[in-house]
Amino acid sequence: MSGRSEATISVDHVSRWYGNVVAVNDISFEVGRGITGLLGPNGAGKTTLLHMIAGLLAPSAGDVRVDGATSWRRPDMYRRVGLVPERETVYPYLSGREFVQLNAHLHHLEDPRAAVERAIDRVELSHDADRRVGTYSKGMRQRIKMAGALVHDPSVLVLDEPFNGMDPRQRLQMFELLRQMADEGRTVLLSSHILEEVERLADSVLVVYAGRLAASGDFRSIRQLMTDRPHVFSVRSSDDRRLGALLLGEDCVFGVELDASGLRVRTSDYGEFTRRIPRVAQGAGIRLVELRPTDDSLESVFAYLVGR
Amino acid sequence: MIARAPIVALTLRGLLDRRRTWLMLALAAVPVVLVGLAAGFGDARIEPDDFDSLIVQLVLPLIALVFGTAAIGAELEEGTIVYLLTKPIRRARLVASKGVVVAGLTAALIAPAAILTGIVAGLTGNDVTSAGLAYGVAAAVGGAAYAMLFMAISTFTTRALAIGLAYVMLWEGVLADLLEGTRTFSIRQATLAVARELAGENPPEGAIALEQGVFILVAVIVGAAAVATWRMSRYQIRGGD
Repeated sequence: MSGRSEATISVDHVSRWYGNVVAVNDISFEVGRGITGLLGPNGAGKTTLLHMIAGLLAPSAGDVRVDGATSWRRPDMYRRVGLVPERETVYPYLSGREFVQLNAHLHHLEDPRAAVERAIDRVELSHDADRRVGTYSKGMRQRIKMAGALVHDPSVLVLDEPFNGMDPRQRLQMFELLRQMADEGRTVLLSSHILEEVERLADSVLVVYAGRLAASGDFRSIRQLMTDRPHVFSVRSSDDRRLGALLLGEDCVFGVELDASGLRVRTSDYGEFTRRIPRVAQGAGIRLVELRPTDDSLESVFAYLVGR
Repeated sequence: MIARAPIVALTLRGLLDRRRTWLMLALAAVPVVLVGLAAGFGDARIEPDDFDSLIVQLVLPLIALVFGTAAIGAELEEGTIVYLLTKPIRRARLVASKGVVVAGLTAALIAPAAILTGIVAGLTGNDVTSAGLAYGVAAAVGGAAYAMLFMAISTFTTRALAIGLAYVMLWEGVLADLLEGTRTFSIRQATLAVARELAGENPPEGAIALEQGVFILVAVIVGAAAVATWRMSRYQIRGGD
């Protein structure tokens, strides 16, 4: 994230392996103030990276620094860092308020009572704060975890899949809260495997796939790369052979294969192709039976970015 | 209590859920009930040695095992330990707070169990009331050693309960009785050395001396706390992906 405000998180040629399995492979990046999204499919290495940044995991190689100091085995770092872990588990026998109080007292805050009420208000859980966490919905548990991470007013906030289990309204509230945190000058690094979440929230993104950094920088330019990549469609119609021949004449199509299941059409422009094919078929009196993108999973997008 | 001693309060709440509390109370009541039945209805004579088999050998390690392995082990398994590890607190404080709770809870159950067993035996004509008090005090100290040992084991493996049981059953239950040399590494034998001294009993041949017993108990408590602190200061939480 070079060129942004002064970096608070610095990851320098970091790798992490478990035996023969490489979870994170020689990744370097810097994160400054504002919201940065760590995007990647499940299993990409996002949590491993966040745990190394949060000082919960030692890198096998390389260096992870937060505010200029190595994060591993540095408990004093947590005065400035808040973590919202991915796992939902929160002490089920504590009330929401007791959980936030626990966090406040472990931070030795000067006025823990006021800090607790402030944090609970921020996540809008005041009405349910005295209920046991064991009775909370997934979304409420996410929010009380958030309150626990915010109670000491950290300048760096690390969130692992914070929107898991939240309903749309709760997501919007969380988006708003995170934007406020960024506007206050904090560094917010959040992971997600859902493109749209990151797109709506983050100024910058880090795309991780198979333990490698696939792309990083401004979200719009990365989105463009994703959109412009080759797409493959599966097409079935009343006359596949004739439709294939016609499609080959279109500028946006650069390959057509015909097999027993129908056509496989390669295009460089997703939007243009989906607009052109009904017109081509209609003009030739061919009935379209099926039009299906075959590689539209986020995973294929990430694979493309890595292989680029 | 969260304000004054947050980790102690948290650990107490976690360990004293309704089911575990009833189970531990029932376990602590076993020697009292057995002695009451044996002496009250069976005319059995209760000797100080019976405190060894009922209190020190049976109930004490089981109570310490349940509390000791759950205090940190359950948090590691459930993942809640992350909320403690991401705080600016020294790992020694984390382990000491948890240790105080497991040692305290074990003592709070085992000492009254031994004393009540002595009183019940005394009511049925057996002169072991003072032995009950002596074994109660010794078991409280021995309980701290057991609980700290099991807590330290739970920071390394999720099988701490099985390992603890194997230690109690095989090492202390079988080997320490057969092979004199192994008694140096037996919390039970160290606890018995203290209990016999307090009760004014003559130790049997081959038993370890009081000084040695006290040294073993202190060494286990301090050593287990140091090992658990070392382990927790290097504890790593793997990423799920």
